[in-house]
Amino acid sequence: MTPADDREREHVGDDLLAAEYVLGVLPAAERQETAARIESDAAFALLVEAWEDRLSPLNAGYDEVEAPAAIKTSIDARLFGAPIQVSAARPGLLQSLTFWRGLAAAAVAAFLLVMALPIMLPPAAIEPAERLMASLASEETDVRYLVLYDAASGQVGLSHVTGEPEAAHDFELWVIEGDSAPVSLGVIPAGANVHMGTSPQQREMIASGALFAISMEPEGGSPTGQPTGPVVAAGDLRSI
Amino acid sequence: MKDRAAFDLLYRRTSAKLFGVCLRVLVDRGEAEEALQEVFVKIWTKADRFAASDLSPISWLVAIARNHSIDRIRARREKTAAMDDAVEVADETPGPEAQAIAGSEREQIHACLEELEEDRASAVRGAYLNGDSYAELAERFSVPLNTMRTWLRRSLMKLKECLER
Repeated sequence: MTPADDREREHVGDDLLAAEYVLGVLPAAERQETAARIESDAAFALLVEAWEDRLSPLNAGYDEVEAPAAIKTSIDARLFGAPIQVSAARPGLLQSLTFWRGLAAAAVAAFLLVMALPIMLPPAAIEPAERLMASLASEETDVRYLVLYDAASGQVGLSHVTGEPEAAHDFELWVIEGDSAPVSLGVIPAGANVHMGTSPQQREMIASGALFAISMEPEGGSPTGQPTGPVVAAGDLRSI
Repeated sequence: MKDRAAFDLLYRRTSAKLFGVCLRVLVDRGEAEEALQEVFVKIWTKADRFAASDLSPISWLVAIARNHSIDRIRARREKTAAMDDAVEVADETPGPEAQAIAGSEREQIHACLEELEEDRASAVRGAYLNGDSYAELAERFSVPLNTMRTWLRRSLMKLKECLER
């Protein structure tokens, strides 16, 4: 038996375990071990996710059942019993692209807004087409934007949710690919729903899964062509 | 707080489905209500994970509710070896509610399940929707536990092969 065969056998074994975990048939102890492995083994976690995706059409078999109103009240008490602290954006973090990524991943609000998207945007905006969306947010500011990118037109649509720039400042939108320097898409016009055009180079970056971020800049935009103010919101693009 | 408003919206849009999941797996209403609370607390605290996931939002949410409910019932049932009524529901093929919902993805998985032997397809569905364990399935189908494990493992691999065709 060659090492390649061994690896193949190991992979098949892991794939079966992932399948059994998702199916839900394992005894308690094995489930716990498997759940711990998902946390520590990224390759294994991907196998589990692939099975979740594969079997997810079976979710249609679950009926919707209205939960008693008291449940929501208890959840709110557990989650929001204590007031939420919101601190001001810290300057200087902009240099760290790892921070930008971390910020995007940590944006709890971003996720919630993704879920809420179909309600918040007019129906015309969700017709099936190649569209990417990002929810731009930060735990440190109240700035929230929803970004909808339409590949066909190359238009970036921005829905303003909350947060305003300081006096004599503007928000500027950036697209960042991997470790490269941020590329400006321009100053975000005022308004609840605005559109911004993109260049072919920017479209390429967006198509390859770049990150969007908003920084606060002097009125009229960054004087240097690179972000100079604090990042007030950021988020990853997802297809919808 | 807008975050909170978004959470309220999320709850309104998804709680009935997730409660349906908890109730189907746990059967006991009180326990399902407790589980639903824990599920939403988890969703709030684990939301950052979603950014790293390729699953659709609702699949991701149902996975959290299923896993949580199955963990709960596994802990409970292993203490009380007795089989309860919940198991009786388990071997049913999906009800009309499931059949009413169309969609090519869903049809494909059902077409693939149909390629399996009937009792095996029924075991796969029952396990997924009700969270039955290998031990419970083995008892219901009157086969040794290892036989059930082999059945299901083979069925899962066949299913995967069919879905990738």
